Amino acid sequence: MSRHFLEGGSIGLHRFALFTSFCTAFLIFVGGLVTSTESGLAVPDWPLSYGMFFPPMVGGIFYEHGHRMVAAFVGFLTVILTIWTCATEKRAWVRRLSVAAFFAVLTQGILGGLTVIYLLPTAISMTHACLAQTFFCLVVSLALFTSPGWKNGLPSVTDKSAGIGLPALCGLTTAAIYLQLILGALMRHTDSGLAIPDFPLAFGRIIPPFNSPNIAIHFAHRLGATIVTGTIIWTFSRIAREFKSYRMLFRPALTMFALVVVQLTLGALTVLTAKSVVPTTAHVATGAVILGTSVVLTLRAFGMSGHEWKPGRARQSGI
Amino acid sequence: MPKRLVFVCSSILVLALAAACGGGGNDTSGLPPAPAGGAPGGATFDMATATGTVSGKIAFEGTPPPAARIQMSADPYCAMSATPETSVSEEVKVSDGGLENVIVYVKTAPAGLTFATPAAPIVIDQKGCHYSPHVFTMMVRQPLEVRNSDMTLHNIHVWAETNTPVNIGQAVQGMKNNINLDKEEVPLPIRCDVHRWMNSFAGVFSHPFHTVSGAGGAYSLKLPPGTYEIVAWHEKYGMKTQMVTVAGSETKDLGFSFSAAAAAD
Repeated sequence: MSRHFLEGGSIGLHRFALFTSFCTAFLIFVGGLVTSTESGLAVPDWPLSYGMFFPPMVGGIFYEHGHRMVAAFVGFLTVILTIWTCATEKRAWVRRLSVAAFFAVLTQGILGGLTVIYLLPTAISMTHACLAQTFFCLVVSLALFTSPGWKNGLPSVTDKSAGIGLPALCGLTTAAIYLQLILGALMRHTDSGLAIPDFPLAFGRIIPPFNSPNIAIHFAHRLGATIVTGTIIWTFSRIAREFKSYRMLFRPALTMFALVVVQLTLGALTVLTAKSVVPTTAHVATGAVILGTSVVLTLRAFGMSGHEWKPGRARQSGI
Repeated sequence: MPKRLVFVCSSILVLALAAACGGGGNDTSGLPPAPAGGAPGGATFDMATATGTVSGKIAFEGTPPPAARIQMSADPYCAMSATPETSVSEEVKVSDGGLENVIVYVKTAPAGLTFATPAAPIVIDQKGCHYSPHVFTMMVRQPLEVRNSDMTLHNIHVWAETNTPVNIGQAVQGMKNNINLDKEEVPLPIRCDVHRWMNSFAGVFSHPFHTVSGAGGAYSLKLPPGTYEIVAWHEKYGMKTQMVTVAGSETKDLGFSFSAAAAAD
């Protein structure tokens, strides 16, 4: 373990940040369950549930109060993560990032309460869904920045290809995924998930008739899926072709490529099963995991760019 | 301990307390009912002058779909207290060839009249994890009392579009809440998000010329002489309208017909 690493915090902090990331991914899955089962208003009050800390977990309450419990746990983890990071981390920007994560989870909790109190207004519910993804990106970033691989210093690579650089390509992919998740949230919270009832065609055509805003939203999500898939394939093929020996680039790129195949299947199943709970919820959670993977890839691509290629360091620094 | 750590800890504590102090309810109990509905400033209508009658049968054509069994295992109390009547869906209830639970009403009340709002509340009870009645009509600002007769908790979620949406929790058996509905709205869905099979539909009117079809699909409306557009609305089969003219104290037979085939189209 290098001196640099010891100065910047402990392996414990990294593992804790990783654990918080996993719990956050699970929280997004549980949040997806709430919308998939339409249980968002099964508990009409907030912050208590039917005036209690722990109501009977029956019917829709199981999903809504379960979501609140997991959210409270993630909030608690984030408080510890923030305190731990601020107490031990030497890098000011990492400390600031942990404080940002804390404020994000706090805002997220308040938005969750407001969406219940104001009976699921689209704007608040969508913001709640999008902030969930943002918070997930923050904790994933914290896990990455506190990792030994990052703190020991990333290997440097020289991008030899003409055109768009790898960091920009990865950044573009992450932005496309994030925009697609916003569209997905809009689709869920405007009840547009079955506005186009068939797949892969739309009302038997390639371009559907835009008779309602819901059809436009749904179609925009499908169009977004095509763009995201394209950028992921582009990113993966570029890394497979030019940076295959860099495990810390190739692994997340391969993971992202495999996940997007799963995600397209889940999206199709969501329509074909008329929004059955399992594929619909898995579609939400997989979207978050793809975003998290893309964030890791993008940050590494940026961290490794503009330096000389040192293959020896690349193999020993994966997380 | 570094200063910044103390600052971060204090901020977290203060913000967490601030977040926990939010919340609120939307219980509308205690709102005073308005004295009358209908056109403001007009003479108050006397129901004794509604001497005409429009009555008939809401016929159901074709084979009614089998009543879907409700899966209540999500709440052991509901599963335990289910009866043959409460454990099947009331969406399509056909008896003697007639469709029940159809809201029948006059689309536009005679102009220039005001209508006294009944003081007696409409009561909707949650019993056996089932709304009773399933479909009802009422006047604007007539008290709507929601009761929980179950030993489990329910939320009453009024999915209003014209009225103010309401979502109230009733955690304890015997709880009662009054809901104020001050605008016309048909249909007005009411549902429990805890027990997704529980739903009910209300028709809220500014006049008293409305009813719900009962056994055999029969209905009857008392009306003052005049020409009316009569509307029949069903939760699955939608809406149908017909014109009718009643004079004096005559009784007009006005039948409606819904078919299983129409819903399948």
